[in-house]
Amino acid sequence: MFGQILRRMLLAIPVLWIVATITFLMVRVVPGGPFDADKHLSPEIVANLKAKYKLDRPVVEQYGHYLARLARGDLGVSYKYVNRTVNDILGEAFPVSVQLGFAGLLIAVAVGVPLGTMAAVKRGTAFDAGAMFLSTAGISVPGFVVGAVLILVFGIWLKWLPVALFESWRHLVLPALTLAASPAAYLARLTRASVLEVLEKDWVRTARSKGLSDERTIFRHVLRNALVPVVTVLGPLTAILITGSFVVEYIYAIPGMGRFFITAVTNRDYDLIMGTTLIFGVLLIITNAIVDIVYQLLDPRIKLES
Amino acid sequence: MYPVLKTVYIRCLGLSLMSFMLALSLFGCGGGKTYEPDTLRMNLQAEPPSLDWLVTTDSTSFDVISNLMIGLTQYTNSLKCNAGCAQRWEVLDGGRRYLFHLRKDVLWTDGQPVLARDFEYAWKRLLDPKTAAQYAFFLYDLENGFEFNSGKVKDAAQVGVKALDNHTLEVRLRRPAAYFIYLTAFCPTYPQRQDIVEKYGDRWTEPEHIVTNGPFMLTLWRHEYKIELTANPRFIEGPPKLKKIKMFMIPEQATAFGLYENNQLDYVDNRSFPTADVERYRNSPHYTNIPLLRATYLAFNVKKKPFDDVRVRRAFSMAIDRTTFPKILRRGERPAYSWIPPQLAGYSEKSAVHFDPLTARRLLAEAGYPDGKNFPPVKLLYPHREDAKLVVEQAQEQIKRHLNVRVQLEVNEWKVYLETVRRDPPPIFRQSWGADYPDAETFMNLFTTHNGNNDTRWSNALYDSLVERAAGEQDPERRKALYAEADALLCKEEAPIIPTYFATQNLMVKPWVKGMEFNALDVQFFKDVSISPAR
Repeated sequence: MFGQILRRMLLAIPVLWIVATITFLMVRVVPGGPFDADKHLSPEIVANLKAKYKLDRPVVEQYGHYLARLARGDLGVSYKYVNRTVNDILGEAFPVSVQLGFAGLLIAVAVGVPLGTMAAVKRGTAFDAGAMFLSTAGISVPGFVVGAVLILVFGIWLKWLPVALFESWRHLVLPALTLAASPAAYLARLTRASVLEVLEKDWVRTARSKGLSDERTIFRHVLRNALVPVVTVLGPLTAILITGSFVVEYIYAIPGMGRFFITAVTNRDYDLIMGTTLIFGVLLIITNAIVDIVYQLLDPRIKLES
Repeated sequence: MYPVLKTVYIRCLGLSLMSFMLALSLFGCGGGKTYEPDTLRMNLQAEPPSLDWLVTTDSTSFDVISNLMIGLTQYTNSLKCNAGCAQRWEVLDGGRRYLFHLRKDVLWTDGQPVLARDFEYAWKRLLDPKTAAQYAFFLYDLENGFEFNSGKVKDAAQVGVKALDNHTLEVRLRRPAAYFIYLTAFCPTYPQRQDIVEKYGDRWTEPEHIVTNGPFMLTLWRHEYKIELTANPRFIEGPPKLKKIKMFMIPEQATAFGLYENNQLDYVDNRSFPTADVERYRNSPHYTNIPLLRATYLAFNVKKKPFDDVRVRRAFSMAIDRTTFPKILRRGERPAYSWIPPQLAGYSEKSAVHFDPLTARRLLAEAGYPDGKNFPPVKLLYPHREDAKLVVEQAQEQIKRHLNVRVQLEVNEWKVYLETVRRDPPPIFRQSWGADYPDAETFMNLFTTHNGNNDTRWSNALYDSLVERAAGEQDPERRKALYAEADALLCKEEAPIIPTYFATQNLMVKPWVKGMEFNALDVQFFKDVSISPAR
């Protein structure tokens, strides 16, 4: 297995190179530049800025410089946040997003998987209908609405939890719930569909006919097989959640990195755009590799070689 | 069907819920407190791009820096220049030379005295091409300021600023500039310590390295989240009444206003004040509305037909009733009939252009478009933001109603918009301009022929001459008259722009905040603010 993981990691290098190259070219093709502002700068000042950031060099040379820096782990400098490197910016914001993302992920899994399982087991009952109504609402209602409602109820009316900011664990509760709402709903629906499919299998009937208890059948046989599609989506979902959510960070004033996926583009902050894209790419590769390993643990018939 | 499973699940859920409620009750509620003693809590909305006052250009950074530093002079809230590091100054050689005499008791936060060479170093650093300062042009009035910044002069010693001794600074200008004194209160001209900047390089503005000379010191900078300032015991005017200022970076207006309502912020301004709440609190005793030196306008590209005809431009300008803009924007804006705002010397009622649809239709007919007939299709470009959309839609409707001319609206993403306007301005576009210093020059210079921000392509020798003469005029009354004449030429006679409205600052201040004043330049000074129980 170690060899397979190593091979996956080596394969990640060309993938990241392609991502870096495409992003590098795209950000330079988009109209508008990092120094366009409502007060136009004189050509002399623009020339000074371009010289400082080496944007006066040919694009091929800029690309070469970028790759050389990247190879040393240097993601470049921000043009918006003067004197700050992309490593500094993301180094401060990423741990915050990881905390929030894992809290959201835990809630999503803790709510979504049991809810979906119960709904499948109690198919056709009021519980099933209620669970599916909730999950449809969770998917359909946008995060900013969920956030606003939670703030209004728990922050302003009941005053149980802080409205916003990031000072203690209590400040994480509402953002994590907001972040978890949609993934939990999605996981519930996915788990329900998957469990229903597995429940129809002959070997489930066989297990029951052998006299296995319901709990043992569900936990040991049904869930283990039904979770394969759930684990598949957990990979990219983890990458998405731990790199931050623009909406959640925005409405709760959380200093995570989700905002940079948007603001770096609107500011044409080239290196920061590249940095966020690459970090997301790296996380996607890692989480997908972990998913592949978990596949094997859940179902030994699946081999990494295949 | 699976009762045990159901029971386990419900128990787990119940237990989690109970623990959650217990935890909340143990840790108390979030909104019970009112104020924090001697602490002001506010919202900056965004991360300051830099706290290096020579390289930053945005109001967020300036809100912080203005409370960390003072320059040669400092603004009062009535926007007069008072003594700062300089106790007095002499204007010599008809306004071409200034001698600033520095106080000897102004100290940096590390105890070192503020010296004339700190100004000389900072000003030359601002102009140094290697610094790549976007606001270097503020010192282009210095002898060889532009030449040094553009690389035509390599020797910094030729720039017109020199420390004659520890406490005397000489400034030589390339031409008299009556507004120059205002620049000495503006962030890009504040002094800097060469030893600190060179020792710590890019990280010199972090709290552990930075040295400042103003009422507060930077003690915490948690990027993208919070800045904390504490009182500077060495401040020249004595320590401020506040011991601490907490500046949060809450991007969402509604969230920030929720914090204000929950007593977790002590005041809010436009950055944290949604329009719906402005309307809700307009009659509150804690609400204030301050007109700002910030104007929004529609601009014509006068090189593009049919706006190369002054009659068409004037017809458009007269066809718009400016009083409608505050009604649709709902933030207490003031209609703009002239380019110079009413708060500045040079403003004159006589320069104002007024709503006159009859004359507008007559002018359009004279230009060859009676009742809008044969008027070519024209495009009005605006950036993607709600207030701009409301304004251009209102203008479109009024032009159709009063001139029977159909204007096509086009929206661009912000940076695309900026590039389009700079490269090839469309026939009409929406722009805005904020004052950097409280002088008509900052507005009027914008439409001179060689100003890089004059996207109208309008060029008028008389206007250029009036603005040039006014800039150097030392007599205040003659200066006012020159600006008024130029403003009338711009708005009434030539109309390359249609001023639409002047922005305002909307504020809510908690009753326990004392001494909080605001100004039209929208720079917030907290040195006289205190926190004490409301009666």
